[in-house]
Amino acid sequence: MITVKNLVKTYTGRIVVDIAALQINEGEIIGLVGNNGAGKTTFFRLMLDLIKADRGEILSGEKNVAVSEDWKPYTAAYLDEGFLIDYLTPEEYFYFVGKLNNRSKADVDEFLKSFDTFFDGSVLKSGKYIRELSKGNQFKVGIAGCLLQNPGVLLLDEPFANLDPTTQLRLIKMLKEMHAQRRMTIFISSHDLNHITEVSTRILLMEKGLIIKDLHTNQDTLSELEDYFKV
Amino acid sequence: MIRTLLNHQWKSFWRSRNAGKSLALQIVIGFFTLYLLFSAIAVGFMLQKLLTNFFPGQDIIKIFCGFILYYFMSDVLIRFMIQDLPTLTIQPYLVQNIRRSQLIRFLNVRSMITAINFVPLFLFIPFTIMVIAPKYGGITAFAFIISIVSFTLFNHFVILYVKRKSIINSWWYVIFFAVIGAFAAADYFHFFSLRDASAVVFIKMLAMPFLCVLPVGMAIMAFINNYRFLLANLYLEDIVSKSRKKEGAEYTFLHRFGNTGELIGLDIKLILRNKRPRSVAMISLLLLFYGFIFYKPQYIQEGKWYFLIFGAIFITGLFIISYGQFLFAWQSAHFDGMMAGNLSVRTYIKSKLQLFTGVSSVIFLLSSLYGFLNWKIVVIQLAAYLYNIGIQSIIAVYFATFSYKAIDIGRSATFNYQGMSAERWVYALAIYVVPIVIYLPFGWLINAWAGITAIGVLGLTSYLLQDWWTDILTKCFLKRKYKILDGFREK
Repeated sequence: MITVKNLVKTYTGRIVVDIAALQINEGEIIGLVGNNGAGKTTFFRLMLDLIKADRGEILSGEKNVAVSEDWKPYTAAYLDEGFLIDYLTPEEYFYFVGKLNNRSKADVDEFLKSFDTFFDGSVLKSGKYIRELSKGNQFKVGIAGCLLQNPGVLLLDEPFANLDPTTQLRLIKMLKEMHAQRRMTIFISSHDLNHITEVSTRILLMEKGLIIKDLHTNQDTLSELEDYFKV
Repeated sequence: MIRTLLNHQWKSFWRSRNAGKSLALQIVIGFFTLYLLFSAIAVGFMLQKLLTNFFPGQDIIKIFCGFILYYFMSDVLIRFMIQDLPTLTIQPYLVQNIRRSQLIRFLNVRSMITAINFVPLFLFIPFTIMVIAPKYGGITAFAFIISIVSFTLFNHFVILYVKRKSIINSWWYVIFFAVIGAFAAADYFHFFSLRDASAVVFIKMLAMPFLCVLPVGMAIMAFINNYRFLLANLYLEDIVSKSRKKEGAEYTFLHRFGNTGELIGLDIKLILRNKRPRSVAMISLLLLFYGFIFYKPQYIQEGKWYFLIFGAIFITGLFIISYGQFLFAWQSAHFDGMMAGNLSVRTYIKSKLQLFTGVSSVIFLLSSLYGFLNWKIVVIQLAAYLYNIGIQSIIAVYFATFSYKAIDIGRSATFNYQGMSAERWVYALAIYVVPIVIYLPFGWLINAWAGITAIGVLGLTSYLLQDWWTDILTKCFLKRKYKILDGFREK
């Protein structure tokens, strides 16, 4: 599904991403872990063609993401508030995203119904623009906007950090369900080792731009990661 | 404490990301400010002479007194437009060991240091000293100056209050302008003479200098009112969040344009719901009235058609020119999302061109009302309209691909030069030069109407080639895409 070849990105001489080779198969849930500055967000931005790689390429479905735009219809991402149009109401935002993905208004309304518990009554019909929502609620809007696209590839940057504990667990449950329903390929970065080992099928541990561990999740993964992050 | 806070402001100015750029602009603004103050002093010293020349044989003190309220009335309007609300990033200070009253005192003191507060002093004090003091004595003159200062501060704090209030509730805007408008209208239609009122009030003050306690009282009340308001509102969520319920909007007429239509709808909401783009759009609409300057009957009689065509291009193209200069930057806050979303770059560019076409068409229809002056104006405006949708819009989008600076669309536009750069000046030049280059050979060799036809025909041809242009502009955009994204991410 996703192939990375000789990918290098530097900022003022400092290497932030350096991945020689990486193959991600369809239907994998990739957990990206690593301390601040490990290159997780930069890697995501490279996958979305938002920054230019110094060298190398990322292929999504055989095509270089920096050359063709064919990845856009099946890829959804939420990295930060820069992905939300903050002067729209949440509903308007969902209709907009829906429209870009050929989903009718009624279709979107139907989809949002299944999000009632996730939104917990504070997102829809709140009478607020997105810019007036709390950070956590903005994040919920972003995530729902992604899932609404019914994507084949999903990228979420630290989704657990801004959500309350209940919603964190709900999100994990939801991702697992959606993954089971259709073979979605998911990338999640997180600092929460418990959650990330629970949800991922494969963990990539990054340090200073390099992938230093590539683990298929099993019962030992959590302790292995905890060993690495031990102070 | 106030010293420390001032020091922090000073640092935040110098250490902001684009310190170099804003310094240059501050120098320009500073230069204008100095010029303004200097003119005020000059007029202040020459006032005696000016009044004697313009109103020979009349009592110049009475004339002078008649003008004071006029001045303060226009002062209110000017302040409303240009006076900045003093702001301090208050959050980090609220949790420190600083009294709230100290923070407010800082805001108030800081706010008083503005050129517009010095203009009336420079304007009126010289006359008071030179003319009033010899006639009425030093104490009266002193009391007179006190009342001038008080009126200035009264205006100052009242405007701060009204501006702060109108952020919370926009009815304050409406009421404010209604009151000012009512005064102006009453004066204009001679229901009531501001000049007579002013003369009565200030001549009374000369007769009874102790009356200056009244304006002083007014100023103090305005100050206290402002102080109380700030004290009650010095909480983080206030001022912004006491707002009405927001409703979503849908533009069904855009549906048939598919994704491009969605993007145009997005642009319309951006304009309506954000301060800075909204004021840009408002100004473009208001300047439609420039037609009364460009389309003067004498130009038409003398056949100065070249003057009319350039006026028409300017009037009908103003939206493209001014909205276009930050075309992508308006969306800088969510540009990552726009570029990662399920949306091809070509569609995005195309939506911008179609937005321009749509708005230009509306403006063209509105401006057709000038046809009542002379039908030929409509023909000229048609040529200008074709030029705008065919060529001007291409120029705007092309230059927009060079703008890498993020814009905070929530801030007001007056004196806000955020996002200005050298490319903008080249852009401005292109706007002037291109129509001249098209016009000149035909206008010169044949006649003005040939030049106008050339502008119209070339515009139409270029418009018919819009798909081809879109491809080219998409390539230009893609060449600089990462640079634009990087720039927009850096807030």
